[in-house]
This record gives sequence, C-alpha cells and structure tokens, in this order.
Amino acid sequence: MQSFAQFIATLILSILLFSAHAQESCTYQMTGYVIDDHDRSPLSDSKIYLKNSKMEVFADSNGYYVFTGLCAGTYTFYCKHFGCDVVTQTVTISGNTVQNFYPEHHVEFEDVEVVATKLEEEMSLGTRELSDKERNEIKGLSLGDGLTKLNGVTKLSAGNNSSKPVIHGLHSNRILILNNGVRQEGQQWGNEHAPEIDPFIADELAVVKGANSVRYGPDAIGGVILVNPKELRKTPGIGGELNLVGLTNGRQGIVSATLNGNFSKLTPLRWRVQGTLKRGGNVHSPDYFLKNTGSREYNFSYGVGYLKQKYGVDLFYSQFNTDIGIFSAAHFGNLTDLQQAFEAEQPLESANFTYAIDRPRQHIEHELFRTKAYLVTGPRGKLSATYARQYNKRLEYDKDPPLNDSLANLNLPALQFELTTHTGELIWEHSRMKSFNGSVGITGIHQGNTYEGRFFIPNFRKMGAGIFWIENWRSKTKRLEIESGVRFDNIYQRIYMWQGDSIISPAQNFMNVSGTLGAIYKPSDQFVLRSNIGTAWRPPNVNELYSNGLHHGAASIEKGDSTLVTEKALNFSVSAEYTGKKLSVVFDGYYKIINDFIYLKPTLVPTLTIKGAFPTFIFDQVNAHLRGFDLTVNYSITPEFKVISKASILRAFNQTNNNHLVMMPADRFENSLEYTFKDGKKYTNAYVSLAVLSVLKQTRVPANSDFAAPPEGYTLLSFSAGIDLPIKTNAITLGVSVNNLLNTRYRDYMNRFRYFTDEMGRNISVRVTVPFTLFNPSTSHK
Amino acid sequence: MKTSMKTSMKTFAVVGLVCVAALSSCKKDDDLITVPPPVTNEGEVLTTMTLLFTDAAGVQPDVTVTFRDPDGDGGLSYDIFDTIRLMNNTVYNMSILLLNETTNPAENMSVEVLEEDHEHLFCFTNSLANLSILRTDTDGTYEVGLQSQWTVGNAQNGTVQIVLKHQPGIKNGTCDPGETDLDVTFVTEIQ
Repeated sequence: MQSFAQFIATLILSILLFSAHAQESCTYQMTGYVIDDHDRSPLSDSKIYLKNSKMEVFADSNGYYVFTGLCAGTYTFYCKHFGCDVVTQTVTISGNTVQNFYPEHHVEFEDVEVVATKLEEEMSLGTRELSDKERNEIKGLSLGDGLTKLNGVTKLSAGNNSSKPVIHGLHSNRILILNNGVRQEGQQWGNEHAPEIDPFIADELAVVKGANSVRYGPDAIGGVILVNPKELRKTPGIGGELNLVGLTNGRQGIVSATLNGNFSKLTPLRWRVQGTLKRGGNVHSPDYFLKNTGSREYNFSYGVGYLKQKYGVDLFYSQFNTDIGIFSAAHFGNLTDLQQAFEAEQPLESANFTYAIDRPRQHIEHELFRTKAYLVTGPRGKLSATYARQYNKRLEYDKDPPLNDSLANLNLPALQFELTTHTGELIWEHSRMKSFNGSVGITGIHQGNTYEGRFFIPNFRKMGAGIFWIENWRSKTKRLEIESGVRFDNIYQRIYMWQGDSIISPAQNFMNVSGTLGAIYKPSDQFVLRSNIGTAWRPPNVNELYSNGLHHGAASIEKGDSTLVTEKALNFSVSAEYTGKKLSVVFDGYYKIINDFIYLKPTLVPTLTIKGAFPTFIFDQVNAHLRGFDLTVNYSITPEFKVISKASILRAFNQTNNNHLVMMPADRFENSLEYTFKDGKKYTNAYVSLAVLSVLKQTRVPANSDFAAPPEGYTLLSFSAGIDLPIKTNAITLGVSVNNLLNTRYRDYMNRFRYFTDEMGRNISVRVTVPFTLFNPSTSHK
Repeated sequence: MKTSMKTSMKTFAVVGLVCVAALSSCKKDDDLITVPPPVTNEGEVLTTMTLLFTDAAGVQPDVTVTFRDPDGDGGLSYDIFDTIRLMNNTVYNMSILLLNETTNPAENMSVEVLEEDHEHLFCFTNSLANLSILRTDTDGTYEVGLQSQWTVGNAQNGTVQIVLKHQPGIKNGTCDPGETDLDVTFVTEIQ
C-alpha cells in the first residue's frame, strides 16, 4: 500500500513537472569564436558547456559556436579543446551575448591519444556517471557507500566497515569492477568482502548497467563499475590537490593528497603520486555505540607515463591496506546464541568510544601494478597492450584466540587467503572508417589462490582466454548508431584440496560465446534512446563448487556442489534520456533472464555438529527473472531552485520454484530540493540541498529462507551544502553533509548485521579540497 | 644523429623507469604453490566430547558416552553419537573429556578449558525428573562443570543437553552470558 502511494506521488510529481515545463521561455543566445591563445587560429570541435548541466555545443570549423535557449542569469561556462586546459568564463546573460574563448593550445599535445580507459563515446547500454558535485559529497565514504548516489545502485553491507555495490539486485561475482581499466580480482565471492579500492584515486566513477560480457569478459552479468584516475598532467609544472575530510560518527578523519607533474624539458614524461590515510573509531547508532567497529586504512598509488603522439607507455601502481574491526555482537557460537542476539533490544555487548581495533578483525591488502603501451597504426588505427598483476591478501581473525596458549601466542589468523592474478589484453581499435568504428582484441587471465588456516575455499589455479570483436555503425545524419559484438571465452580451473589424508585435484573447463546488439537513436538534440540485447555468463565460483563448512558469520552450514554449470544471462535494456532547458529525465528499464542462477537454497534437514544443530544451505541452480527500472527526474523551477526525484524498482523472481529471490533490494524513492546561489565575485557553485530517502519494507521474500523477517521500511533526511572559493586559476572546494539528519532508528534488509543492531545514527561530514601549484614554468620564466 | 641520440636516451629512461617500478613494487608471489599447505594452522577444532561416569560407591561398571565429529563442523557428519545409559538408584561422578582429533596425536582440550576455567562454564539441561546433576568443581569463585555428580533415581527416559559457554570477563555463575563453544543433546536412559 505504501509503495503504491509512493508511486502515485512520484507520478503526480512527474506530471506536474512536465506541465510546468511547457510554460517556460528562455530564448537568449550566446555566440562567439574559440581561438587559440598562441597563434589565433580557430579551434574547431571545441566543446562549450555548463558545469553540472547537460547543455553543451560544439564550435564549427571556423571555431564559431552558438549557444541557444539561455535564460537570464549568471552562468559559468567551460570551454574545452583537445590538448588544452579547460577555460572557465563567468557570463551574465540579460540578452543575446557575444563571448569568445581563448584556450591555450599546446602543439606538442595535439592529437595525443588518451591513455586512460575512457568511457566509450556512446554505448547502447546506459552509463551513469557521478557528477563533480556528487563525487565531492561522497569524499570520505567507501566505494560501496559512495556509489549508492547513482540511481539503481544499492549496497550489500556487513556493518559499517564493509559495503559492496549492488547493481539491479546483483553483486559480488555478478558485477565487474574495472579499476584503472583492469578487472578487480579480490575475494569478491564473500558477502562481507568489500572492493579493495581507494575512492580518492577516482576522477571518474561510473556504472554501466546491464550485461556487458562482450567487451569485459565473464562475470559482468549485472553491470560494470568503472573507476578511473585523472589523466596524467599535460602541461609543464608541478601541482596537486589536498583533501581533508572529517566525519562525526566514528570520529573519522581522512587525509588524501595528490601530486602531479610534467617536466617542461621532457614534456611527454608525466607523473602522479597519490596517498590516503584514514582512521575511524567505534560508530554510534542513535542509542548506543557499536563495539569494535573502528577502521584504519592507508593507501598510495603512483603513475608515470611517457606519452607521444604515435606511441606511448604508462604504468600505474596502487596499494590498498586496511584493518577493520568486526562488530563483536555479530559473532556467535550457535543458533541459540543467534536467537538470543536477535531477540535483544540492544546488542548483547556494549561499548564506549575507542579507536582500538580488537578481535574479531580483518586485515586486507590489495596491490595493483599495470602497464599499458600504445602504438598508432596508420591514420585510423591504434594498437594497445595492457598487462596487470594483482595481489590480494585477506587475514581474518576470530573473536577468540585458540585455547592452547602456544597457538594463541602465535597470533595467527584463523583464515588467510592469498590471490595472485595476472591479466593481459591486446586490442586494436579503429576510429571511423566510412561509417564504422570498432575494436578487436584478445584477453588472458591467470590466477592462483592459496589459503592457510581453516578450510573455506580450496586452493585453485584458473586460466582463461577470450577473443572479441565489436563494431559500431553510425548513420550519415549521426542520429542513429547500431553496435554489435561477439566474444568467445574459455576458462580452465583446477582445484587442490585435502580429502582425508590425500590431495585431490579435479579440473574443469568452461566455454562460452556471448553476443551483444544495440542501437542508439537521437530523434532530436534533447533526446537519446538506447536499447540493447546482450548475453553474459560466469562460470561457477570455487566457493559455490567446493565450500563445505560452518559459515561463522551466518550461523549456517554451506555446502558447495561440484556439478554446478555455467550461469548464463540474457539481458534486455531500454533507456531514454531527455535533456530540456528546465527538465531532464533519465529512464533505465531492464529485463534479465538468468538461466542456472546459482543461489543458496535452504535444506530442511539441519546439520548436527558438536556446537548444536545448524540450518544447512546448498548451492542450487534455478532460472531467475529480474526486471525493473530506475527513473530520475530533474526539474528547475527557477534557475536557482531544482527538484530531483528518483525511483528505483526491482522485481526478482525464481521461475523454477515459483517464488521470490532472497536478498534483493527493496523499492526506493528519493526526492531532493536544491538551491544554487548565483556565482558571486568571491565564490562559485554554492548550493544547499535537502533530500528525503524512502526505502520500503522488502515484502517479496521466499518463506523459510532467513532467520528473521525483513525489517520495516524507513525514511531518512539528509542535508548537503558546498561552495567553491576561486584562487588564481583554481578553486578551494568546501562541503558539508549531514546524513540521517533526524537520527532515525532503522535497519536495512541488505545489511547482514540487521539481526543485531540498528544502522548508524546521524553523521556529519566536513570536506575541504585545496588545489595547489608548486612549480609553474610559464610564470617562472617571466 | 643528435635527435636519434636524444630519442634513445628518452627510450632508455622510460624503459628503466618501467623496470624499477615493476621490480620494486611487487609483494611476495605465492601462487606457484600447487598443493595446499598441510593443516598445521587448522586452528582449534573440538571434535570429540566423552563423558566418563564412575559409580561413587564403586559397584556399577563405568559408563563411557561419546559424541564425535572427526573433521569438525561441516564436512562429514558425526560418526559416534552414544546414548547415556545409567543404572537406576546410583550416584555417578562424571568428568568431561574434550579432544581435538584432527591432530595426531589428539589434543586434550579439557586441559585447555581447565587452564582457562575462569572463562568457561558447562551447563546441564536435564529433562528427567529422576535425575539430578550438580557441578562439583570450581575456578575459585564459580563452578566450572568439568566434574559433576549425577544422582540417578528410578528408571526413566529423556534427554540431557550439555552446553559449554565461553564467558571471558563476563562469567557470573549463570549460563546466560557468553558464546556457545559446545552444544550436544544426549538421549538419556535410566535402566
């Protein structure tokens, strides 16, 4: 009933917004030339755009541009030309206006290929990116928490220290994270194993919703998350950025700094160094502290590139290290303990504030080394090769050390995994030849996993190879694009495990062909329609095949099934984007048919152990259908006032057993009101916003699949404000946010600790970003 | 000539940088181990609980009752799960023996529990009216339960649940606090 009312409210709001839109009139235009500051030559194809808006135009071959449909007011325009720094200009529009832009065009950088993995220019799958403002607001949060700003992306968490991104209800091995263009390979099968990435590395955070196996290989059933760092510095000099973040809940402090440089004597040589330190203590729910929920994190990365017009090589290295406390009261010995913890009003273990991290705890390290080289082949082609090595180490310490003193003194983790992954990619891309552009490539992966301590997943070795070909056709009018691709993969996997006193090592082979077909149609400059049919797949993971034991975090016995077959998905997606002067709408709809969907099925017979009887789950395969949509409506009532409404709906069904799928996010709605101040002499981009998030109770759950019924729905209020203070060519950015403003008591269905504790209470974050220049050759020469 | 020198210098610089970065940055690579390490660090597993009953009067024969799950939780199921069969109208002294049989020789875990007796408590839940169970040992302040006295009356059938609670710093003599380390319910027959 509540959900219906909410839906109607959203619908009415949308209708109101549409009708209001018909009445506005913004008819002023701004025209001018984009001219090279050095030699006064016109710069064609320059992009002139407004920050945080979708309005943009391109200069013609004479460098001339026309920006139409402007309302009266003060705007900050940006002008971007390839190989130049972005030029910023604040213009007051009170009639038709003439404004020229003078970017500084550095001849050396002309046509230098972009080395970092950029988003495809257009894709038939909807790609949604966090705006600069949103990226500022999530500073200090983990990757999983931050990405929930994107409509359709939620999180699966195990307390405050572990949250995993969920795209359209799918997570873990069903989504792929591309960190700097490389498949992130950690122990992602674990529900409480969060991605090992420092979000401060990212200059671009985006999500491709929908199956995308053709370009990225197996696992991309739910979607792909792109984490890309800033391009290496193109202009000579040394500069950087300092970020300071403080959060009241858990008294967290974060310092992150980036330093980038370009040697003026050797301009193609560019570098960047970056590091982050983070520390937090016990977090607080509205009524009590959560014992042992502190965290520590220390990360660093560097990048070096020697990038010329015809060839180049760059390398990137990053290290992620974290120590996290696991909420003590979420650890229990058997079902009776769980029942007791669940029935308690407050967690059975109380605590005060401390930064100390005690048992149970985890220590996680992730290391990425990547190198990429490119070579321009002829006028239209480019060959690039990438090699990456990742090393992931995960140590898990139980709540109690061993009883035996000599064992306890060793202080060894109860469980340790080490995963080493090598990936390689060779791709040849061609830009538009007649109407076609495309790419063809081969990829390879080699992976080895070893464990020490308690058995949970066996040692294994995995080798995979893939070959793909994608082409895109664009009509002469540039209104229609059709893309199509095909891929073949083969994965070989061999495991090594003890059976009694001997080691067994069965091997398995998985083969699959995937395909994609999509279209992009732009009936007008305001409208983009996309549709895509694609297949995706993933081989069963080792834990699904061979795990056999007590899951200490879940009070259940999990049994793998070595006869599981490949999971295959057919994904239909449709998206529509409308960008008007006052109104913009983004709609992403999807229908996924997943055959042999692997899930944990409860069995009726509990397993009797020396710790009592435990419910037993086995990995089983069914046919699943997931369908839903994400809708974002953005309406400017006045140039200052904006209303943003978001809705995300998902229905997930087990077709085989005619039942719902367990652990799927509930419907959610978010409405926010934002006021943007007119740019003044001393400040720009100042705003305040207030948001209301409503998450409904998840009522679509199968019976007997969980220890307790899903928690009630909840409504949270949050506040956010930000301002840019210009200094010379840059600006200091200040921001403040308050999450859970009213200190609401609530529990979320997608948090595995919901049995034991309320979610975090009010959390205020204060953020400062200071850009700085250490050395600028152009000023020092003068 | 000069240009080519410059180019090769640059190339050399880049290649050098790549090598230095690649060599300096990588941690230990463990993925060449094809065989899992032996289970030395398997940790502690309670596999076996044995109850040793002796007649306080020395008349009736001793009774030994065992629950054993040789590979610990999960994996294969238990292989021994005895019924407690006691003679009527007898007073037994009972002591609990805990073993970890994943190691060779088996490790006596009751010794470890005894060493940390101020953190442990055995709790007995008895459904038989004709049986009473009393803990007879102490950690100095509270009872422990490794040793107990079972006073048996007339013939009757029921169950006895034996739970070991781990109560570090929170032991108060009751069964409420702490985490469960052991929980076995034995079918019990008084003959």
